Amino acid sequence: MNIEEYISSGILEAYALNELSAEEMREVEAVMAKYPEVKAELNAIEKAFEDMAMATQVAPKPEMKKAILDKIDEQTAPSAEQPTTRQDTPKVVSLPASRGWKYAVAASLVLALVSGYLAIDYRSKWKSSSQAYAQLLASNSQMAEQYNQVNQKLDQLETDFGILSNPNFRRIGMAGTDNAKEAYADVYWNETTEELYLNIVNLQELAADKQYQLWAIVDGQPVDAGVFDWNAEGLVKMKRIAQSAAFAVTVEPKGGSESPSLETMQVLGNVKKS
Amino acid sequence: MEESELVLRLKDRDKNAMAYLYDKYSAALLGVASRIIKDDDISEEVLQDVFMKIWNKIDQYDASRGRFFTWMMNLTRNAAIDKLRSKEISRSSKTDSMDDYVYRVDSRNSTEMHTDGIGVRALLNDLVEEQKFILEKVYFEGFTHTEIAEEYDIPLGTVKSRLRSALKHMRKKLA
Repeated sequence: MNIEEYISSGILEAYALNELSAEEMREVEAVMAKYPEVKAELNAIEKAFEDMAMATQVAPKPEMKKAILDKIDEQTAPSAEQPTTRQDTPKVVSLPASRGWKYAVAASLVLALVSGYLAIDYRSKWKSSSQAYAQLLASNSQMAEQYNQVNQKLDQLETDFGILSNPNFRRIGMAGTDNAKEAYADVYWNETTEELYLNIVNLQELAADKQYQLWAIVDGQPVDAGVFDWNAEGLVKMKRIAQSAAFAVTVEPKGGSESPSLETMQVLGNVKKS
Repeated sequence: MEESELVLRLKDRDKNAMAYLYDKYSAALLGVASRIIKDDDISEEVLQDVFMKIWNKIDQYDASRGRFFTWMMNLTRNAAIDKLRSKEISRSSKTDSMDDYVYRVDSRNSTEMHTDGIGVRALLNDLVEEQKFILEKVYFEGFTHTEIAEEYDIPLGTVKSRLRSALKHMRKKLA
């Protein structure tokens, strides 16, 4: 089971708000028993609900407290006076000695035969339906997984869209160098919060042991802004950058380098003075 | 008092624990009820019922299934929603929007309350609009995911993911 996807499906929020069916609740509890991180996440969600309630209190009228405590007194007082029901000594019921026992033996034999037959019959029915059930479960979990993937993708798109439509983010286009004339990539940069995202428009495929690395140019010196794969999708979050005169991308060994291999530079874009 | 000790003492029928519980949580729970019911007197009636339920049903609380406050919160939400239905106050027919009500509760807080409640509006002010909407409906007004999906024509998955994003934001903010 992919725990991250399970958590991000929002099922724990629904659990905390008591919105799941009894069966779904048992399922969540089984997962929690197996994965402590799921339990911890639920606790964090519940803590948030609690903190929100604490932050938005509305004080009751002062006389409420006494009213409630009095009501509890009222409720408990009479039952305290009632004598506690004493447990009677168990009665021993003696069976009347009759000849009926022969019939009883015969009846139980018949019963045993009938139930034996039924047991075999039910067992075969149960076997086939449990198989069908297992198949259903499998296809159900497959669907849930696909659904989660789509949901995550949507979340990602929503986040991306939020960045694209946020006026505090500047787009800096980086055009291809002589190494790769067709190459193009953008960075989205929020100078105030220092957040930086990268969007690949067109970069060539790299060997498995290579990665692209983004550099910010600060006072003429390249500063590492993080690495990314050639096939990264959507907006890729890069390192925070406070200031930069230009951004550039080079090809580096997987994991990145301390200083850029300038001869491999793919794209370059200057930050226009705002 | 630790939460676990409080629960234990309540299960032990300790009335002092009940007084402590009241002091600690009554205002938070009244907040929960009154945002669903939007009527101060009825909300206080519900609060009273809720405390009786906590006292009488404390044995049903199972710590392995979640926090004690969550249990009380859900008791309160259910009681408030049941009350709404029994009084046949339809939520959609109410003309005052959440915003109006929130203003009212907030202003009441500032005059009558000696708690550190900051109010719903201040709490939610930096959420994006869609997330704020879902959190208000689900958490503060007691709608179920499905009700929102149907009533406002938003896909259920979107309701869930927006609620989750909103809550993540709140967790960071309240941490």
